[in-house]
Amino acid sequence: MRTKFAFLIASLTAIPMLAHHSFSAEYDSKQGLTLKGTVTKVEWLNPHVWFYIDVKDDSGAVQHWQCEAGPPNMLARNGWRKDSLKLGDQVTVNGFRAKDGTNTANARDIILPDGRKVFSGQAEDADAKGGSKSNE
Amino acid sequence: MRIRILLIWALGGLVLATSGVFAQTAPAKSAATEIPRMPDGKPDLSGVWQRPFVPDMSKNGKDQQGEPQLPFTDWAKQHLIEEFDYSAHCLPLGYTRAINSPMPIEIVQRPDRIVLLYEAMNNFHEIFTDGRDHPKDLEPTWAGHSIGKWEGDTLMVDTIGFNDKTRVDTEGHPHTEALHVVEHFRRTDPKHLAYDVTIIDPGAYTKPWKNVRTFTLRPDWDVLEYNCEENNKEVNEGHIK
Repeated sequence: MRTKFAFLIASLTAIPMLAHHSFSAEYDSKQGLTLKGTVTKVEWLNPHVWFYIDVKDDSGAVQHWQCEAGPPNMLARNGWRKDSLKLGDQVTVNGFRAKDGTNTANARDIILPDGRKVFSGQAEDADAKGGSKSNE
Repeated sequence: MRIRILLIWALGGLVLATSGVFAQTAPAKSAATEIPRMPDGKPDLSGVWQRPFVPDMSKNGKDQQGEPQLPFTDWAKQHLIEEFDYSAHCLPLGYTRAINSPMPIEIVQRPDRIVLLYEAMNNFHEIFTDGRDHPKDLEPTWAGHSIGKWEGDTLMVDTIGFNDKTRVDTEGHPHTEALHVVEHFRRTDPKHLAYDVTIIDPGAYTKPWKNVRTFTLRPDWDVLEYNCEENNKEVNEGHIK
């Protein structure tokens, strides 16, 4: 019975993903991560806001990360402003890692310097696909 | 003498009957339930509307209900994968995908047409309600040609004339140039629109299927500018081909 179940799961995941400009094409919804870092750059532009943070790992070495968020208008409606992230600000980013192994994350929500938590995805539902990926 | 008394009673009765004292009164309509109307009496759908994000029209979710088993034709089953990610390259989303977007749409209603202003891709579309039919020699376009007719307080919109360069939703469900979209818009109260969309496409689906949603008025929102190309990092850096 267990083997049958495992086979079913395996066959379901083997169904080809509809490859398209989607969250699941680029980011791994199973690789959630939390990054705490210092803002080094913000691109408050369409189609997606990008912000760059320096994260110190356990050994004290600095890792450069780039984080993708939703479009500026959507972020503004979620409580962000163009100046919400300033260079040098300490932020916490909860999101999902890029599948390509680079230091790229899709930001699901972020804790701003003033302590507010703001969502960056288009959907406020707490599902993995709530990442801010598609151009709509 | 008796006749005079009778006459007075009769007159009194007549006065009471016509005074409306015993007349049935309709329940008072409150401002909360009465929808705005155009001068010709048709419902006015104007406003900035918040809509649920519908990346997959087959699924249920917040303010949306889909068709779980999409009836794909053999052709559609062979064309589930998008070879070219057109929306990533800032090309028009297509009619149904534009309304699936979470970015606001403003409806501007005029007596002869309804104008949709989309924040997504900074685009627009017109639904002609002046009685015209679809042109006979329609050139295929990204968003098709739309005509609207009122059925009571429900606007029925019929759209044809699509090119084959889009997908019906983000998930990538396909369509052909034979796509025929039928929608219903009904302003159920000042703050809500009941919406449904039916996909009819014998090339891609063996039978029509439907998705149903609720839109919410956002008087505190404006449709803002959106420019897809200004920093399209993922395409510019080759993460998306």
